[in-house]
Amino acid sequence: MNAPDTRLQPMLSIRGLSKTYPGGVRALNNISIDVAAGEFLVILGPSGAGKSTLLRCINRLVDPSEGQVLHNGREITGHRGDLRAIRRQFGMVFQQFNLVKRLSVLTNVLTGRLGYRGMGRSLVYSFPEADKRIAIECLARVNLEQKAFQRADTLSGGEQQRVAIARALAQQPTVILADEPVASLDPKIARQVLGYLREVARELGITVLCNLHQVDYAKEFSERVVGMSRGAVVFEGPSAQLTEDILHRIYYREPGEEAKDEA
Amino acid sequence: MSATNFEAAVSGALAEESQRRARRLGRALIWAVAVVAVLWFTGAQIGMNPLALVKGIPFMADFFGRMFPPDLGHLPLLGDATLETVQIAVWGTLIAVLMSIPLALLGAQNTTPHPVVFHVTRMFLNALRSINELVFALIFVSAVGLGPFAGVLAIALHATGMLAKFCAEEIEGVDRGPIEAMQATGAGRMQVILFGIVPQVIPAFISYSIYRFDVSIRAATILGLVGAGGLGFSLIKTMKLFKYHETATCILVIFVIVFVSDWVCARIRARII
Repeated sequence: MNAPDTRLQPMLSIRGLSKTYPGGVRALNNISIDVAAGEFLVILGPSGAGKSTLLRCINRLVDPSEGQVLHNGREITGHRGDLRAIRRQFGMVFQQFNLVKRLSVLTNVLTGRLGYRGMGRSLVYSFPEADKRIAIECLARVNLEQKAFQRADTLSGGEQQRVAIARALAQQPTVILADEPVASLDPKIARQVLGYLREVARELGITVLCNLHQVDYAKEFSERVVGMSRGAVVFEGPSAQLTEDILHRIYYREPGEEAKDEA
Repeated sequence: MSATNFEAAVSGALAEESQRRARRLGRALIWAVAVVAVLWFTGAQIGMNPLALVKGIPFMADFFGRMFPPDLGHLPLLGDATLETVQIAVWGTLIAVLMSIPLALLGAQNTTPHPVVFHVTRMFLNALRSINELVFALIFVSAVGLGPFAGVLAIALHATGMLAKFCAEEIEGVDRGPIEAMQATGAGRMQVILFGIVPQVIPAFISYSIYRFDVSIRAATILGLVGAGGLGFSLIKTMKLFKYHETATCILVIFVIVFVSDWVCARIRARII
């Protein structure tokens, strides 16, 4: 199980990924993206472009119809057996935070450890001391350790999303998948949350794939942008290259227009 | 749009509105006549007769007259039966709560291991609910003998049917977000249920359980009619011995414990939610 040298190959490689939902909706059409270790990649596109489906195909909340995802050179699509081990590697942050409202902040972060633990202790809602230490450290990274014992739904939206980031960190993941993490937050709080996400990822060397629909945030926070429209990649490059023409292609592409290949 | 076209469009819509209104009225009238006819017919068939009720008033007065005044000297003798009634309700409800948790998980579409299990569980729960406590009590009296244990089993089964169904519906209505978040952490199936679903349904489940305890108290007061313990037994015994003053005392005690349990349950529910 020696991990191959990540400098020589992308840590995450998406190859020819397509997804057709049972109703016949084609959400993803032959997506190929390479992501380097430690990168902060923004996936930019309008609602319905397939961004959420793409992230969910990576941690297998959705099973892709065609194509592969390679994580450090190892294919993670296809086999069901080690699904839990695969999902542990990918922390996820959601638009609606998806905290368990009635549980404490600390317990919510501790759920990030569930993938490592068996059923036994979970039955009595108990976690090992080592997990508690990890969880509190993760909370401290988003500066919320002082709110550890409050119920999750007593926190503001921005704080809840920071708790969700801490939960993702508690998985000790190699990648964080953030699905429109700031779409329900006002601009000031949104920048703060994106700032936390970028900083902790940088400190811990975690790769981030972040779905956004706002161009401003993409320009501000990304190292590289992938533009998506109607289930296809229509742009790939640094955010400085996001010209009016390219934005038009991402946001206003008419049906039938061919998706342009990689820029 | 020109002025005349605009006028035409508006008056056209107005005309259609009055047409629709007339049609609606006509339909309502037909339905009303049909419903009244059916009710009249069924009422006659089951012998609904206001006159009989009026004629019966003197007999009822006579009956209540014989009960009055309640024989309060009988009160101390009802202590054990009252306690037994409450005990039957407590144990019956407790068993139902414990049984309904796994049944609710099997009988909710989003947690059931298989659609067949789902349908079988729901059918089983419907069967439990469709059989009245008194009928269950009759069955259990013949199985485990006269006494409160038969009453406990009767209440447990009927209450399980209701609690598990309510809980299953609550499980089906939970927010999907936390479930997806738990799955994303790599949690196993049972862990997703424990952390993603259980916290969301706990308040409603406790609330239903308390309400069901209140219903169980009322059911337990009459289970004695078929020999399954509690106040109902005293009730039927005194009636059969024509000791109507004592019967009145029994009814009084039933009234008091139903009233008290209703009050206590309302307080507890308000505290929890």
